[in-house]
Amino acid sequence: MPDVVLLSEQLTKTYSSADKKLTVLDQVSFQAEQGTSLSIIGPSGSGKTTLLGLCAGLDVPTSGSISLMGFKLNAMSEDDRAYVRNQFVGFVFQNFQLLSTLTALENVMVPLELRGEKNIANKAKALLARVGLADRLHHYPSQLSGGEQQRVAIARAFIAAPRILFADEPTGNLDEENAQQVVDLLFEMNRQEKTTLVLVTHNLELAQKTERILQMKGGHLIQDSKLKNQN
Amino acid sequence: MLEYTIKIKRKTKNIFRDPWVWKMAWRDGRHNFSRLFLFMASLVTGIAAVVAISSLNYSLQDELDRNAKELIGADLVINGNKKFDTAWTNLLDKAKVTIAKDADMASMVMFMNTGNSRLVKVTGLEGSFPFYGQMVTQPADAYLKVQGGNYVMLDETLATQYEVSSNDSIKVGNKIFIVAGVVTKIPGGGGLTSTLAPAVYVSLKSLDSTGLVQFGSRIGYSIYVKTKSEKETQKLIEQVKPLAKKLGNSIETVERRKEQLGRSFSLVYRFFSLLAFVALILGCIGVASSVHIYAREKREEVAMLRCIGSSGWQAFNIYFIQVFILGIIGSLIGALLGVAIHQIIPIVFKEYLPGDIQFFVSLRAMGEGILIGTIVSVLFTLLPLVSVRFVPPLAVLRADFIPGRIFSKTRITAIALIVLFPILTAAYQTKSFITAGIFSGGIAVALGCLVLVAGGLLYLVREFFPSNASFIFRHALSNLFRPNNQTRMLMVTIGLGAFIISVLNIIEGSLLNQVEFKGNKNQSNTILFDIQPNQKEGVIKLTEENKLPINQIVPIITCRLSELKGRTVEVIQKDTTTIPDWALTREYRVTYRDSLTASEELMSGKLQYFVKGRIRDSVFVTISEQMHETLRAGVGDSLVFDVQGVPIKVFISGIRKVDWPKDPPNFIFVFPKEILSNAPQIWVAATRVEDPKVASKFQRELVTNFPNVSLIDLRLILSTVNELFRKIGLVVRFLALFSVVTGLVVLAGAVINSKFVRIKENVLLRTLGARTNQIVKITLVEYGYLGLFSSITSLVLAFGGGWLLTKFFFEVKLAANYSELLIISSGVVVLTVFIGWLNSREVINTSPLEALRKEGGN
Repeated sequence: MPDVVLLSEQLTKTYSSADKKLTVLDQVSFQAEQGTSLSIIGPSGSGKTTLLGLCAGLDVPTSGSISLMGFKLNAMSEDDRAYVRNQFVGFVFQNFQLLSTLTALENVMVPLELRGEKNIANKAKALLARVGLADRLHHYPSQLSGGEQQRVAIARAFIAAPRILFADEPTGNLDEENAQQVVDLLFEMNRQEKTTLVLVTHNLELAQKTERILQMKGGHLIQDSKLKNQN
Repeated sequence: MLEYTIKIKRKTKNIFRDPWVWKMAWRDGRHNFSRLFLFMASLVTGIAAVVAISSLNYSLQDELDRNAKELIGADLVINGNKKFDTAWTNLLDKAKVTIAKDADMASMVMFMNTGNSRLVKVTGLEGSFPFYGQMVTQPADAYLKVQGGNYVMLDETLATQYEVSSNDSIKVGNKIFIVAGVVTKIPGGGGLTSTLAPAVYVSLKSLDSTGLVQFGSRIGYSIYVKTKSEKETQKLIEQVKPLAKKLGNSIETVERRKEQLGRSFSLVYRFFSLLAFVALILGCIGVASSVHIYAREKREEVAMLRCIGSSGWQAFNIYFIQVFILGIIGSLIGALLGVAIHQIIPIVFKEYLPGDIQFFVSLRAMGEGILIGTIVSVLFTLLPLVSVRFVPPLAVLRADFIPGRIFSKTRITAIALIVLFPILTAAYQTKSFITAGIFSGGIAVALGCLVLVAGGLLYLVREFFPSNASFIFRHALSNLFRPNNQTRMLMVTIGLGAFIISVLNIIEGSLLNQVEFKGNKNQSNTILFDIQPNQKEGVIKLTEENKLPINQIVPIITCRLSELKGRTVEVIQKDTTTIPDWALTREYRVTYRDSLTASEELMSGKLQYFVKGRIRDSVFVTISEQMHETLRAGVGDSLVFDVQGVPIKVFISGIRKVDWPKDPPNFIFVFPKEILSNAPQIWVAATRVEDPKVASKFQRELVTNFPNVSLIDLRLILSTVNELFRKIGLVVRFLALFSVVTGLVVLAGAVINSKFVRIKENVLLRTLGARTNQIVKITLVEYGYLGLFSSITSLVLAFGGGWLLTKFFFEVKLAANYSELLIISSGVVVLTVFIGWLNSREVINTSPLEALRKEGGN
């Protein structure tokens, strides 16, 4: 298993509109090691979400390269990238992104089902119990509060034992109490599962909980700072 | 630095080996099937219409095949309009076949119990007719009594209408008969003939004693022949053909009767085929449109599935399985509904069809319906569902992200199959690739025009934007050309639905108009015919005594064609198949006069005339437009008529356009006055009777004084025919309704489809402080524009399409019902606005924050 989980080299993303080219990410390079946590911060339009999308293999760069668990993502087809995501990546989004037609339990089981694994219900139930939703297994997303939905999303992210977890503003849609609960859960599980955590946030307080902060501005990585306080 | 790559060893599973996609299809669908309501509705109504129409066609065809012999009651029938020559008796005696005879004529009869009179078909019967099928009478021995003489039987409808029962008396011509009973069923007599002129049956011998058989009387004579085998029938047909040609008789075979019946229903068949095609096309559009909406709604979930590792095909398969299974269920429901509709049809329709049509459940029609439905649900969902494959996982982070156009073999194949499908199904239904091409080409042209018009209108709106109009009007109008608002697609879909519904209405109106008699105030409504020359003055006097006008009194001379353009009829019959036999061998009833009537118009050439002093080449006649086309004879062509043994050579001087139902009687050939005035002739008079009491008195006096003169009360026929076609029209409309319902589903789908873009717009406006009534007004005005532009375009196209179809496919005159078309067009606008308003209610009834959250997908 490589120590370096994520390697970004000269990552550039440009969009063409009419006769103009817009560079939203310009030659960004960094790497993340196994079990570490880092946050990406910056003002709106600085390229945070674009960077997250590229790192997670949700999009391909215009130039530069991105390697995830040794897989060169930019050389792969979308379906192959989907396979890599399924094997190694977990996601938590600001707007939860649960499948509305599935129950909490079914939502959590989906990543393992996609791998073709069997007898996974107990594992999913245990995870839901761990996030405090043992009594909400058969509820649909619309029957859950925002905090509960995000906890289901965390359970879904961790069920496949991902090597790396990408979280995009995980507390952005939550009140303070729920946000704290979700953050605690996220970092606790990250520590226990030795998952690499990549967090995109506006919230400096939250960013400071990670080991490292990458600061973005105008599509450039302007600062890469390591923090002393560890979770 | 990390410098190595790991190769992916991932197995791709097909749909049948990937249980996860089936599981997901079920999970996603179990509480979600209502979202596919439009899909199901389109499919069910479309397939129901197809199955109902096909079932009806199969029932008719099956009946024609099964009971072919019963249709004429014999193996062969020989018809003529004069008593049969002894050559016939000799031939049939020699052939040792069994025969029966009848003679029928139109005549007035008087019901002695009430003194009422009515035009009927008087039929004289002799022998054991029918040989096939059954004559059902009440009481059962009625026909035995009739054969003995002095007794008559009546059609059941006639007996009921005039409250006649056994042992009442009826005066037929000069003779009074006793009623023996009623005929409830007789082979060969479909409901149609019976409704127009109900029959009174007497024995053939006693028909002579009525005094109705006179020179000039129009009597049809028939000999019914029964052979011992099919082989013998064919042999006999070959033997009788030359004699029939020689003596001017026609022969009717089982096969020919089948063809004739098939032809008389051909318009109905064609319309039904068109209806089935339209229902199918609308169903296809509905299916594609509703799945497009569904796929759109699923975009975010698909993006999420892609994020956590689902492949594009897996995502596609989840929704494909859903629509495929629902497609089969929908097709089954549609097929069952179609069968149910088919079972309802005979309740209205059956009595007007020949024989006892069995409205059996057609497994073939059901099978076809289920198969077509399944193909439609696969084929027309492929295109919208293929887009699911290309939903990028990035859409989870950026909902608006649209990937570049991706080349897909599946997409190209789907488009090719979608283009082929309507052509192949139309070809299967109509048994003609040309017709299929016309149908499909018409839809494609309409589609192209709608796309062009939609583009043109958007351009015009942008170019001539009313900058000074109020905010609401400006905003609603500018909504039309905002990026991604799908105005073009919406206009095309709404327009296509409205176009198809309008074309159907035009066709339906034109077909029904073809057979409806129109009456106006100055038009004759009563025709007196078979007036002998010596009765002419007496009839005029009687008419005038009753204070009735004589609108027309015209002579009629019967003749036959013997030469056309210098070639004898026999030669033409051998040489060519382009001129139908009936047009060459029929008896023509012609008249002579030197002017046009109110129902005629000279299209080309001159009026009929006679060149005095010349011995040859001196008679010029005019011909009706239809016969000019049928005989392929135009101005200057020569014809020779056999006028009761005397050959008369004539030339066509002009072609008349004749409005047949208007101001009868009308004629195919009109001679100049001089030439036929001394030929044996009968006279026909036309008058108009308003008061039913006067009509009744006049009829009684006429039947008493001139028993051979027949009176046709066109008012009665008009109402009977209109009633008949009203009922047939009801069936046509009933079936057309299903196509219309499918069209409405398509309209609804198209408008709902636009909801996503417009809701977002409205939410923003609401957030910025727009009041409810402002949002409602903007929505109503915008959808009003959409509906109005679409319906105007579709109406113009419908007139074009309707004209082409009526002229070249149905070969009838275009007769659009403008008020109904206006209602359809207004209905489209109202429906579009209504559904648009329903769409926006969701935004109106919720707070901006809630709506914004919903829009954000929370």
